[in-house]
Amino acid sequence: MINKLRSANLGLLWFYLVIIVVFSLLSPPFRTLGNLQNLLSGFSHIGIMAVGMAFPLLLGGIDLSVGAIMGLVGMVMLDIIMLLGVPGWAAVPIGLAVGALAGLINAVLIVRLGLQPFIATLATMVAYRGITYTISGRQLVPELSVLAITDAFYTSIDGALGPLPLAFLYLVVVAALTYLLLRYTRFGMDVYAVGGNETAARLAGINVDRVKVAAYTISGVCTAVSTLILTSRLTTSTEDLGFTFEMSAIAAAIIGGVSLRGGVGSTIGPALGAFLIGTIYVGLTLVGVTTYAQPVVVGVVLIGAIGYDRLMEARRARALLERRVLEAHTAVGQ
Amino acid sequence: MTTAHTIAEKISGALPLRRLLRDYGQIVILALGTIIFAALEPAFVSTENLIGILYQISLIGIMAVCSTFVVISGGIDLSVGPVVALAGLMAAFTLEATGLALAPALLAGIAIGAGVGLLNGLAVARFQLPPIVVTLAMMSIARGAALLVGGSVLHLIREPAAFLFIGSGRVVGLPIPIFIFVATAAIMWFIQTRTSFGLSVFAIGENAAAARLCGLALTRVRTLVYLISGAGAGIAGVILAAQVRTASANYGNGIELDVIAAIVLGGTSLKGGSGAIYRSVIGALLIGGMNNGLSILNVSTDLQLVAKGVIIVVAIALDNFLYRWSES
Amino acid sequence: MSDTMLLSAYGLSKHYGAHHALDGADLDLRAGEVHALVGSNGAGKSTLVKILTGAVGPDAGTLTLAGMPVPFGDPKAALDAGIACIYQEANLVPALSVLDNIVLGRHPTRRFGLLDRSAQRQAVRELLARHDLRLDLDAPVQTLPTVQQKEVEIAKALSLNARVILMDEPTAWLAHAEVEKLFHSIRQLRAQGVAVLYISHILDEIFAIADRVTVIRDGKVRLMAPIAATSKAALVEAMLGRELAVEVGTAHRQMPQSAAGAVALECHGLSKAGLFQDMALQVHQGEIVCITGLVGAKRSEFVRALFGAEPADQGEILIHGRRVSLREPAAAIRHGIGFVPEDRRRDGLFMGLPIGANLVLAYLPLVTRAGLLVRRLTRALGRRQVEDLGIVPARLDLPARALSGGNQQKVLLGRWLAGGARILILDEPTVGVDVGAKADIYQLLRRLASAGAAILIVSSDMEEVLAIADRVIVMAQGRVSRTFTGHEVTQGAILSAASGEVAQ
Repeated sequence: MINKLRSANLGLLWFYLVIIVVFSLLSPPFRTLGNLQNLLSGFSHIGIMAVGMAFPLLLGGIDLSVGAIMGLVGMVMLDIIMLLGVPGWAAVPIGLAVGALAGLINAVLIVRLGLQPFIATLATMVAYRGITYTISGRQLVPELSVLAITDAFYTSIDGALGPLPLAFLYLVVVAALTYLLLRYTRFGMDVYAVGGNETAARLAGINVDRVKVAAYTISGVCTAVSTLILTSRLTTSTEDLGFTFEMSAIAAAIIGGVSLRGGVGSTIGPALGAFLIGTIYVGLTLVGVTTYAQPVVVGVVLIGAIGYDRLMEARRARALLERRVLEAHTAVGQ
Repeated sequence: MTTAHTIAEKISGALPLRRLLRDYGQIVILALGTIIFAALEPAFVSTENLIGILYQISLIGIMAVCSTFVVISGGIDLSVGPVVALAGLMAAFTLEATGLALAPALLAGIAIGAGVGLLNGLAVARFQLPPIVVTLAMMSIARGAALLVGGSVLHLIREPAAFLFIGSGRVVGLPIPIFIFVATAAIMWFIQTRTSFGLSVFAIGENAAAARLCGLALTRVRTLVYLISGAGAGIAGVILAAQVRTASANYGNGIELDVIAAIVLGGTSLKGGSGAIYRSVIGALLIGGMNNGLSILNVSTDLQLVAKGVIIVVAIALDNFLYRWSES
Repeated sequence: MSDTMLLSAYGLSKHYGAHHALDGADLDLRAGEVHALVGSNGAGKSTLVKILTGAVGPDAGTLTLAGMPVPFGDPKAALDAGIACIYQEANLVPALSVLDNIVLGRHPTRRFGLLDRSAQRQAVRELLARHDLRLDLDAPVQTLPTVQQKEVEIAKALSLNARVILMDEPTAWLAHAEVEKLFHSIRQLRAQGVAVLYISHILDEIFAIADRVTVIRDGKVRLMAPIAATSKAALVEAMLGRELAVEVGTAHRQMPQSAAGAVALECHGLSKAGLFQDMALQVHQGEIVCITGLVGAKRSEFVRALFGAEPADQGEILIHGRRVSLREPAAAIRHGIGFVPEDRRRDGLFMGLPIGANLVLAYLPLVTRAGLLVRRLTRALGRRQVEDLGIVPARLDLPARALSGGNQQKVLLGRWLAGGARILILDEPTVGVDVGAKADIYQLLRRLASAGAAILIVSSDMEEVLAIADRVIVMAQGRVSRTFTGHEVTQGAILSAASGEVAQ
């Protein structure tokens, strides 16, 4: 597991470095500090979302509702800060709680009702978006569309520590913490076990349901963190905040080496994947390619990533088969 | 080794009622839902309202019946949304380019959909890439392509009248899109039940390894199902452009979820190997009836979204429950 | 084997609807014994295993381990009591290491749930040493050969302090030398006082490793005896019931050997890297040729190459004397070859589709006009196969999963007969098939051969081979070891050829 992890991320890192070199050569503005800061902060929120997405994916599931959860958390933040006057420092834990709750509901649908993750999170994606529209403060109080959140604590979420954007710092912390969680704790081991072979995990006495609940809740919380950063940056929120973000999160995770089948991957990969996507976007813009081409490029990169993954897998399988055959022959020869 | 499950399966033929409910529960729900809404508001079952429901679900219905084969074959097509936009744009541009000739415009719209579907099919069938990722990526690529082609402006389509008639015209009192929906569904139904292609789709979805050993053309069938799905989105895109008289790269955003919901609500399994075109029709009716019924009862559109999510959950959970119940 | 009673199951019964899977079955295991459990498919073995492991609860009966009652229907309780099971399908997490798999679900932790790696490593190392299991603790299990994966499962069971280990068909997928390694591990277990319930249908193995044997048929225990006090014939008799065994035996010997005609299927120098080398054979019209050998001889791989399922790298295949290129099953089918695969569930049948569909899917062109399925033709085709083969229930609309193993096999055969395949390749055609259907299938094959079909059968069942083959080809390690005609073949000769002692 460790070796595979390293080689997948290594390939990604190389690709990333190549991209950076290419863009740096093609576009002078790319090489500035301002751009670097832009890169670091610009996609950190997608990165955090992708890190959270890794958990359902590692279990062999998926979370399509993260975009809608972002909208929901964002709207809750807008409402309670602007309409109810809740101070920033109190709003943040509420936001995290909403994200956790949304993830929990996903988990309950999957675990208790036995729904496939794809369908369950498809349904909640629709439902959460609906709730977002329903509670939208901007419909109640039209002026909100032009007002900005001015709460000092809240706006400082998306600040900077010297030259380092805080958003990037949050990403590093979240990615590191989740990485440690997966690699060094019992829970992490259980996640890989359930994702690798759910029946074996169950028979081994692992509480599969609890692991699933935790995974989807983590995804919800990460999305909430990501939302706090984004809404702080925008100083507002809209009804369709986060729309289609789930696709970027999934793409980042897959590019980052998390397998759709489960049991393989880490949380470093998704973060790298998000940066890759972000760098490509920014790089393309600076080089002068229209923003319209961005989705095309991301789509192609995604296909490239999955194609590469398949290729590697086929090669591994073949090597394994050949090794087995060799062993069987030598064993018989004894 | 024979498992207890297999033994139980062999015995379960003795419980026909449960099996009936499991297989046809969706129709029961449709009937029940109609009765409930009709009871709450009689206008629900007025001819005008029913026609309205059919009209509203025509687009999703067309896409659902065309994408059903993909699901039966064990795959999924998430890329249909942007294809709708692309098709509308292609139709609009072809109309301008050919001096408002109708047929080329229609063909162009459907063709672009089929083309995207073909690409999906090749990636999935020929290169063995997972459908979720492929169609996810294609969704992104198609959206970008639509933006590149059409920008983010609205392209007005004011003529020819024949084209606009497709979207808003009526024949014997029924809007044209409904006819197209019925016709498409009928064609898909025919393909499913009467062609060897249809049977092959089920076989491949049910057991691809066995299908290969039967000499079935896996690559060709798998490619075709995505082509059909794309073409369906193309048809819908052309109709949409005719209905709203504009083409835009931003149309169709999020529609793939409604399409999948319709297929799934109708009882077709995402795992593949089972399902039917009529089920997707029922699924589309369920969604349409639900949307309409809630509107008539003056439930706000926002809450309707919530209700939609809840109903999808309930319906699938019920289906799972009925399945286990009928096998016990 | 000591005299200490370890596990005692008494009067276990379980029914599903009207079907009695188990009917008052008793089983007892002593500490340090290897106890074989034998029975045909559907005899009740798997139900018994499920009850012992707590997967299901019985309707009646008692179960005690070392005198303490074991709660029914609770897998965790069964594990805690010391009953572990090693299933046919590996119960391991492929990407995780050997160590992680052994302590799966019980990883020791320090504060905050942090894994305590060193603690578990030492304990497991000691456990492995004690049982003479040599495993690389850090290797991902998916990189290990199958026999080592079984050893990981054994280690896992032992680390759970299992006193009773059930092994379900443990030598499936093992090559010959690996079987010896497994037996070594089992003997170690026995020496340590663990009771092993060895579930298998391979009688040779049972006589090699077991101390006592229990035979189940139709849910009841028919025989329980020390191995030394019984014989293969007695076991077969108990498994099949006396009259049936005699009947099947005589039916075999009475079958007419048909005269062979022209060569229908032929191959020369067929090779596939790492699998088989230089394979050459001929199957004449009217002939039944059996390919036998031990597991690991790559017989299935070879015949699959003949069908184009996984084509060979080198060599040539000739059909009726003409050289053909068979790179995919569709090509083989066009040339009139039919193939019944070994695993009918995985590669053969469409379980959820109706029998009618299953029968027709290999020859769609026959029932299609302009892309449309002609109902009349599909029904006629299906009806004929159902009648000819005696498929029960005789309904085309039932899903394939509703049939018994024997009838399912008939459907697979019917699929090829429907299209008039004249060259039939069958891989282990009677595995998991009840005795009555077995006899039917043998008679059918003989009838087909008499009518001019060329039949190639892969079989591990020595009795089957001896009974129906006109010629026997023995494969060992991917090569032809020896060829016999029907008259000169004996079980002993086959076995020595199979272990590679006599080269062609």
